[in-house]
Amino acid sequence: MTAPRAVLAASRAGRTLLAGWLVLPLVPLLLWAFADRWTFPAVLPQEWGTRGAEEALAAGAGGAFLTSTLLGTVVALLATPLGAVAGRALASRQVPGGTAVLAVLLSPLALPPFAVALGLDVLLLRLRIPAAAGVVVLLLVAALPYTVLTMRAAYAAHDRGFEDEARVLGATRWQTVRSVQLPLVAPALAGAAFLAFLVGWSDYIVTVLVGGGQLTTLPLLVASAASATGSDAQVAILSLTSILPPVALLLVVGSLGRRGRR
Amino acid sequence: MNGSELRLTGLTRVHGTGSAPALADFSLEVPAGACMAILGPSGSGKSTVLRLTAGLDEPTAGSVHLDGADLAGVLPERRGMAMVFQRPLLFPHLSVRDNVAFADRVRGVPRRTARRRAEEFLGLVQLDGFGDRPARALSGGQEQRVALARALAAEPRVLLLDEPFSALDARLREEMHELLADLRMRLDPTILLVTHDHAEAGALADGVAVLDRGRLLQAGPMRELYARPASLAVSRLLGGRTEVAGMVRSGVHRSPLGALALPRKVPDGPAVLVVRHEAVQVTTAADPAADAVGTVVRARRRGMRTLVTVEVPGDGGTAAVDAELEPGQEVPTGRTVGLRLPVEGRWVVPVDGVAVEPVAGAPRA
Repeated sequence: MTAPRAVLAASRAGRTLLAGWLVLPLVPLLLWAFADRWTFPAVLPQEWGTRGAEEALAAGAGGAFLTSTLLGTVVALLATPLGAVAGRALASRQVPGGTAVLAVLLSPLALPPFAVALGLDVLLLRLRIPAAAGVVVLLLVAALPYTVLTMRAAYAAHDRGFEDEARVLGATRWQTVRSVQLPLVAPALAGAAFLAFLVGWSDYIVTVLVGGGQLTTLPLLVASAASATGSDAQVAILSLTSILPPVALLLVVGSLGRRGRR
Repeated sequence: MNGSELRLTGLTRVHGTGSAPALADFSLEVPAGACMAILGPSGSGKSTVLRLTAGLDEPTAGSVHLDGADLAGVLPERRGMAMVFQRPLLFPHLSVRDNVAFADRVRGVPRRTARRRAEEFLGLVQLDGFGDRPARALSGGQEQRVALARALAAEPRVLLLDEPFSALDARLREEMHELLADLRMRLDPTILLVTHDHAEAGALADGVAVLDRGRLLQAGPMRELYARPASLAVSRLLGGRTEVAGMVRSGVHRSPLGALALPRKVPDGPAVLVVRHEAVQVTTAADPAADAVGTVVRARRRGMRTLVTVEVPGDGGTAAVDAELEPGQEVPTGRTVGLRLPVEGRWVVPVDGVAVEPVAGAPRA
């Protein structure tokens, strides 16, 4: 019985590699974030400090953090229920031309976002839609493929017998949704919401082109700080600020999913 | 809990235009407190009957009456029924106790009361002390007991059982049969049971309706259907093995088995003689009371008893008769034996050519 041991070792090595792949880029970022002086030949920063953080705050990191959080949350709140409804309909195969509908919903993945945003910007301006609303609408469209795909897979694996059983036992349509259907697809809902949040949280192109400077989100701040001749410490702090919330959310969603499977 | 009287009239369900109906003109009466079985092969439309009764699907035509009230347009949750499927379908996010308390909870019974009642019903299915377990931590038999307790806790006017024990092994199935018989004595529910197993129908139900390809073939008390099937299809679905084609003339069936007087007057013409293997007695070839003499060509053990096939040569061919031996009786293949076919055990059905074959690719029973 040496095979399982070899498999275990390979699996452990694979996971270590993967973790390294994900964590290594963060190491210089962490070093830069707290380096007040780090010139070329030195392996480690010569002076440690919080100047980067102070500069980032002065540049408006706090407000941008709130704006990004709000944008991600609004996109998730809109895209998740829509994705759930569309995913359920597509999984039940009751939609005429379901494949075509799915293709349309997935098309934002294939189209270059720059072209779409530039084209729709003109349309939104003509329609006099406020910039912030325009950003939300475009990001919603960009987030839908992820939520629809996630929820379609969840509903395809979902046994409708549970709902039939609940109805016969006396639950109304709404009670069945609330106390049977939603708990059963909760892990998938959390995953879909997480993906939609990321679309809003990390967007740059749509916010720049359609937002017209009214929305200052973290990605915008990171980009402007990185392209200007600012301090690298400030860029590192801003980058970390935009990485940590998704990682924290991912841990929460992951633990939810594990509980759901048990 | 007292069951209600259920009456199904002319129930028809067509899934799509142009396709054969899943159920055609099905009528059945289930008296209050009775257990009726619907027996049929896969794809015969028997689960459709339950779904229409429960209101999960709309009938294309026909009606469901409960204690005389028409249930047309009444939502499933307002029909006062409960259903147990072949899959236990325990809600995986709830504990065993909260599964059983589900019906009470959705009707607004306070949590404490609902849980106390759930414990009572868990006791009824001999699962005291299992309430705190997660629904996923049960064995197949326990899951189905909980599903039964959950359905009973809804205090249904009609309990619908859709092959609830088919997925269980033989011993567990027997246990569930005993449990259900016990529950019937205590609670007196009206039960509509769907099964493909005639032995299960015989063990549990007062009466049976035989369904094939969406059509009702025959309904009546189990014993009557065993002894007097209306057609070859019914005979086969009830496990009948012996079919001997021949001609009836003035109450006597003539075939390779010889001339056999029938217990009842039947019209003259071609007819198939059916005899239950349980009724046939195997004796010696010299037995003067033997109705036919033949050779044992096959013997199969079935627990204590052995089932033998005896080929009887006669005018115009040979006839094969299956017989179940007495416990302990042994007859080797190749031996010539006599067969007694008691007059009361003989029955003829029309030669209709309607063979019962499982419908290929049918999604549900």
